[in-house]
Amino acid sequence: MTQSNETLLDLYRLMVVTREVDLAVSEIDGHWHGCDGEEAVVAAAYMGLRDGDTVAPHYRGSLVAAYARGADLARLFAGIMGKATSYNRGRYRSDICGPPEFGVIGLYSGALGPPLSYATGAALAAKLDGTDAVAMAVFGDGSSSRGDCHEAMNFAASLKLPVVFLCQNNQVAISTPSRDRVAGTVADRALGYGMPGVQVDGNDAVAMVDAVAEARARARRGEGPSLIEGLTYRARGHFVSDAADPRPRDEVEAWRARNPIRLFRDRLAGDGVADTAHLDAIDAEVRDQVAAAMAQAQTDPEPGADVLGADDVYA
Amino acid sequence: MARQTFQEATVAAIAHEMRRDRNVFIMGEDIGAFGGPLHSCKGLWDEFGAQGRVIDTPISEGGFVGAGVGAALAGKRPIVDLMFLEFMGLVIHQFGLDGGAMHYYSDGKAKVPLVVRAKYGVGPFHGHAYDFHSWLLNVPGVKVVAPATPSDAKGLMAASIRDDNPVLFMEHMGLYHAGREEVPEGEYVIPLGKADVKRRGRDVTIVASALMTKRALAAADILAQDGIEAEVVDLRTLAPLDEETVLESVARTGRLVVACEAVKSGGSASEVAALVVEKGFAHLKAPIARVAPPNVPVPFHRELEKLYLPDAGRIAEAARAAAAA
Repeated sequence: MTQSNETLLDLYRLMVVTREVDLAVSEIDGHWHGCDGEEAVVAAAYMGLRDGDTVAPHYRGSLVAAYARGADLARLFAGIMGKATSYNRGRYRSDICGPPEFGVIGLYSGALGPPLSYATGAALAAKLDGTDAVAMAVFGDGSSSRGDCHEAMNFAASLKLPVVFLCQNNQVAISTPSRDRVAGTVADRALGYGMPGVQVDGNDAVAMVDAVAEARARARRGEGPSLIEGLTYRARGHFVSDAADPRPRDEVEAWRARNPIRLFRDRLAGDGVADTAHLDAIDAEVRDQVAAAMAQAQTDPEPGADVLGADDVYA
Repeated sequence: MARQTFQEATVAAIAHEMRRDRNVFIMGEDIGAFGGPLHSCKGLWDEFGAQGRVIDTPISEGGFVGAGVGAALAGKRPIVDLMFLEFMGLVIHQFGLDGGAMHYYSDGKAKVPLVVRAKYGVGPFHGHAYDFHSWLLNVPGVKVVAPATPSDAKGLMAASIRDDNPVLFMEHMGLYHAGREEVPEGEYVIPLGKADVKRRGRDVTIVASALMTKRALAAADILAQDGIEAEVVDLRTLAPLDEETVLESVARTGRLVVACEAVKSGGSASEVAALVVEKGFAHLKAPIARVAPPNVPVPFHRELEKLYLPDAGRIAEAARAAAAA
């Protein structure tokens, strides 16, 4: 599939947003689960969706998913601090749970797995309504071991629902390497469900966006779900202040050398899509935007006691 | 009016709502051409199957309750037939922890209009009896409905489907095919959260739900022979609790017995008792009695089952003691 230069630059920009968000939030939140090294998978997963589509993001990248759907960055940052200006006025953390008014299904209780079924349900709604909307169910290699993953895939494939299952395989679940505790490859499971499955170099932004575009097009045509495994690498700890990283140093360094943003930058410049000055300008513009949003969020007010809202629990 | 069983009245409400609102659909195991265990969906396939609105699911309770949550977020009004309440353990995360929290956590932006139906209860089917409703009273954002009569089942099912929250609709197997009564035809909605005084009396209040309501009414007949007039308050909705009706009744009788099918520890009977102690203590003339199964799993043998579950005699005995105190 050939992507337009415009799409490629949008993709680049969203990858830079992912990186800059990471750097900015790392400054204020030691428990931020960052995306360093995984920017290509994250940006490709959430770019280019339409109104009516639904995403159930992996927690690592959830904030970028909400931003890509149109949510305001300053309000999302405010949500990390629980500020009154956040989309839920401080009732829940925006780092793992995006605002549903942007078609984002969050991680409401912090346990991995169920969001795959929520995305599948959104796809069921699209099928019942006869629309061409799609749902993205994005999950980590750790979540791939949940029964919810099997249940959602079997359900979606047997009913031919318009879901794209995307495994953001960063090869480690907190401290447990996926080579030790994920049997076989995630992509190969698709064969068992009778749906297409592909393992993609998750540090190759173009390969990722092509795979996502193909799977979404198939879903919109009513041909059912697909599974994409983006093989990438978590370049840092489980969260920012995670000091214990048991992985081999040389392995970590080898993957850091394959930084997806740098690889994509070189390719865009090499292919003549944009010159270095243009890409630098995108970098600077994003950096300013993120800095301004964070500065805004930090001065925003804390929630008042009225936000507790004991009478608001029922719709 | 039509003479219907609990099961027929429940299905009639579902069919009525499905005709009324295209967004209503139903899914679950074996609910299509098979008609659902114990005829839980009898006739729905014939009328709505071709429209794709009666969906047979794989044995994936977490998956299809989760899909119900997702479809509800997307604007549909799913009904999920969970088959048995014993399976609540498999779906409490999707239904309760997430489904119940989404409206609050999203500051009102998300709504989860989802009904989960579940059969349960000690009865003629001798299995899948566990009454786990008490678990959910500790989960904010979900509603729990447990009707005692065919008419209530119809009206409460209609209200459950129209409600914008996750609702557990409990269908007691001991009541399911246990006789017909006159049930209003067509549109019939009973608001959630409203108890019903099934029998008036001035001497003692018996609060109950589902099968325990039936047994409480039988207990009231026994007590009447001794000249004791028992008032039977059928909660109908266990969450949110109709505090007003319970407190108003106790204010008149001054005596309270709570009958419950869930085990005594941490159960909904305790919640009713705590409510009255907290807000109606001044009216009490006798200690509150909870009549509920002991804290053991539901036993299998019929005689053990009888020892386990409160009957009319035991409820009457507790009420007699309260009235005499």
